Amino acid sequence: MSAVIKLSNRYRPETSALALAGWEAFIADTTAPSWVQALRKRSGEKVRMMGLPTPKLERFKYTNIPAYLKMNSLAFSRVDMTIGGHKDYASDLLMSFDQDFVQEMLEVAPAGEGKYGDLMLWDFANSLIANGVVIDVPQNTMMDMPINIGYEGEGGHAYAPRQIIRVGNKAQVTIIEHHTGGGAYWHNGVTQIHIAKGAKVIHYRLQESSHESLHTQNTHVEIEQGGTYETFTLTLGAKTSRNQIHVDLLGSNAEVFVNGINLLKNKQLGDATITVEHKAPHCVSKQNYRNVVAGQAVGVFQGKVHVHQIAQKTDGYQFAKSLLLSPLATMNTKPELEIYADDVKCSHGTTSGQMDADALFYMRARGISQSDSERLLIEAFIAEVIEEISNDDMKERVALCVNDWLSKQVVA
Amino acid sequence: MIEIKNLSAEIDGNEILKGLSLSIGDGEVHAIMGPNGAGKSTLSYVLSGRDGYEVTGGTAELDGENILEMEPDERAAAGVFLAFQYPVEIPGVQMTTFLKTAINSVRKARGEAELDALGFLKLMKKTCKELGISEDMMKRAVNVGFSGGEKKRNEVLQMAMLEPKFAVLDETDSGLDIDALKIVADGVNALRAKNRSFLVITHYQRLLDYIKPDYVHVLAGGKIVKSGGPELALELEEKGYAEFSKNEAA
Repeated sequence: MSAVIKLSNRYRPETSALALAGWEAFIADTTAPSWVQALRKRSGEKVRMMGLPTPKLERFKYTNIPAYLKMNSLAFSRVDMTIGGHKDYASDLLMSFDQDFVQEMLEVAPAGEGKYGDLMLWDFANSLIANGVVIDVPQNTMMDMPINIGYEGEGGHAYAPRQIIRVGNKAQVTIIEHHTGGGAYWHNGVTQIHIAKGAKVIHYRLQESSHESLHTQNTHVEIEQGGTYETFTLTLGAKTSRNQIHVDLLGSNAEVFVNGINLLKNKQLGDATITVEHKAPHCVSKQNYRNVVAGQAVGVFQGKVHVHQIAQKTDGYQFAKSLLLSPLATMNTKPELEIYADDVKCSHGTTSGQMDADALFYMRARGISQSDSERLLIEAFIAEVIEEISNDDMKERVALCVNDWLSKQVVA
Repeated sequence: MIEIKNLSAEIDGNEILKGLSLSIGDGEVHAIMGPNGAGKSTLSYVLSGRDGYEVTGGTAELDGENILEMEPDERAAAGVFLAFQYPVEIPGVQMTTFLKTAINSVRKARGEAELDALGFLKLMKKTCKELGISEDMMKRAVNVGFSGGEKKRNEVLQMAMLEPKFAVLDETDSGLDIDALKIVADGVNALRAKNRSFLVITHYQRLLDYIKPDYVHVLAGGKIVKSGGPELALELEEKGYAEFSKNEAA
């Protein structure tokens, strides 16, 4: 049995369609709890109507998701997940369905500009809702041990795991998500995080998905007064990936730090799309990204800071540097500042360039081989962002991943 | 010893060196002086193997091996050292990482045992002390935020640690005040040894007050046009390079 998901004619005049086996049957499954069935049905209707995002949409200009799906036939299922750290707080979503807030949060979707394109993947994830993790950290709770969530993608499947993380007033938690897998699959994850007053979430994502896979990750964060969200993503895997982070600063004096390193090679495409909505005064947002693009890979960085009129005294900063290692590598960078308040401090900067020939020669003149020189320069290029990782274990882990990538990449 | 024979080189099709010959014995210090545009910096880059400089003729042999056929890092391992006129800043690469990688690359290529972290630190501290260089400099990124004098002292430090057989000093005096110049010259003098040759490239005689050469050559129009003892430098200081520029024009 197969279903046809139409792509919106508005954005794609040609009547191109995707055949996704078993999708209709999946959303019509009557064994799931009734509210899950209702959510799948509602979302399924939206997906039928709107389709999936295509490059005709500004927000998806560089990242072609339908193209991947046309090349791969996928069945829908649950993803294998492992949860470590604090079993008390982490459980299968299916076991947590009776908690009211889960339902409440599932329906929350990011607001703001560009939401139309962004919500297509969200709706699609809702139509596929099957399993996930709920972490509810009570107020004033400091969780010292990070919570680890692992995903093991399986070839031939499409799935949409959901993480719901709600952190009470002045509570603190560290979450580590790790993606691995084999073969061609589509991971369309949604992570929803609510940070209450004075609470803090440190969130790491290591994306080492199969190099044949499609990885789309939608993260939505709401931060109340005095709350802090600190996130770092390392992108190494997937054939095509889009890591989309949407942050709503809802209360004053909240802070958000969105950092990442994308190491891309061969014919990979890696897209980091970040939106920060300053909806309250006296908030701080900082984005700091490094892209290293080798082979025929394509990197995408779209960072947006939207300062609403009420958000006076905003301190917004956005920085993305890209290093192209080959003449066939591509980097698309689109920084955006949209400011409606008149007393703010916002800055942004992006650079794309190749390896510094003078520095390379200087090192080689000191006896360091071409490959070692390149390696040192790439390490130096990303060092600042690694340095900003606050968890020492994670810092070390990322450094090891980077080393491993470099030793395979830089060949004399 | 170093034996340069009939060396010709061009950049972007422009011939800069036109049959330069020079022989430097072990332990000797030779100075090359010349007007701007004579090919002084080109010579240093050709000898160290920088991209973009095409050798169109001749040889440069270090102890019988033609270094012109080697990669820049192979030349360094063979014992060639270039002290840069403008040392390059490398943000994010720590001095210690840089030095340790360089020394171990060279030691490995020379068939010597690589230094472990402790062995390297000992050597670095010892060399810093001998040259009067603050160890704080080693905690910074390569040449980043270094003063002109610090950059040149850093070149001398690298030279001391890499133990070359043949060191080329490209306008080491440029950008230095007299005190910094003395310190750098003292460092170079300390490294003079009977198995180490130097080629000191300079526009001004001043540097040669502090690094005393055995021989002085005048480079003009892409070749050596006059050679002599240290007194030649004084003569040039007095008369300038007009004589040689005229020759070139004629």
